[in-house]
Amino acid sequence: MHEMTLAIQAIRNVLEFAQENGIDEIDTVVLEIGELSLVVPEYKEEAWNAACKHTMLENSRLQIDVTPGNGICGDCGRVYNIVANRGVCPGCGSRDKEVLSGREFNIKELLVPE
Amino acid sequence: MLRTIEIKQSVFESNDRVADALRAELRARGLFLLNLMSSPGSGKTSTLVKTIAALKDELRIGVMEADIDSDVDAHTVEKAGAKAIQLHTGGMCHLTADMTRQGLEALGTEDVDLAILENVGNLVCPAEFDTGASKNAMILSVPEGHDKPLKYPLMFEVCDVMVINKIDVLPYFDFDLDLVREYALRRNPKIEIIPISAKTGEGIDRWCDWLRREVKSWKEG
Repeated sequence: MHEMTLAIQAIRNVLEFAQENGIDEIDTVVLEIGELSLVVPEYKEEAWNAACKHTMLENSRLQIDVTPGNGICGDCGRVYNIVANRGVCPGCGSRDKEVLSGREFNIKELLVPE
Repeated sequence: MLRTIEIKQSVFESNDRVADALRAELRARGLFLLNLMSSPGSGKTSTLVKTIAALKDELRIGVMEADIDSDVDAHTVEKAGAKAIQLHTGGMCHLTADMTRQGLEALGTEDVDLAILENVGNLVCPAEFDTGASKNAMILSVPEGHDKPLKYPLMFEVCDVMVINKIDVLPYFDFDLDLVREYALRRNPKIEIIPISAKTGEGIDRWCDWLRREVKSWKEG
């Protein structure tokens, strides 16, 4: 839904990091995107490519690692994947839960030439 | 050969940092900023018009209207007696803290006690981005249905107050006021719930009392 803002912000952060650490070439940027983050990886790539134009990342590759959307059931305490179970606890059928992971949108790592 | 540099930095946190800095600044200046969110057509602008009419003699109000591309709302709000500007988001589905700061600068806040940011009409994206506001409010209108807290949980989690608008049409809709309360409180036990009708004026007093109280306690720090 808001891939463009996140792409622009992520690129800004990567460029800042590169400048601070004297990195002048980046082969691959690895992003970590949660299943529950409302970001669609395919759109993300398009937004990324558009936002990278005329920066040092223009020819870098983008790798997206998807992290699972897990939650803990508020009734029985079971940990389950929210997406695969459509938000319903497979143990007791409750919808009450706390999200443990899957909302993140992180810059995970950079692969740079030695 | 490639070398891996671990970063592990949250991109949301970059916005959060700008938002926290803005909030601290607003606190120091005693300027209260309300981030008002809702679906399109829930009655944000008509609620604002009623709110301005009720409060304009005691509080100086400034409104930032976020819209993809029009200035209809800013004119309406200005006529009601508040200072207003239109923020064109250029297609963005939400406002970031950076955009909010720029909006406040464009509005000019030296003569404002209560600034209101009318966010883009959307229950998903605006909830993800902290604008740096003092408090978050959302309007849910009766025709939208009482199941919205189940469908858009994050919106209800981040809001301090939920205004239920258009209660004058309750008899014509299968909207269950008790159920919506239950669903919203399940997502957020601290959320304040205020039913109103921007059309008849019912409940506007309670809503304005909430605003008065929050502006006052923000100023007192």
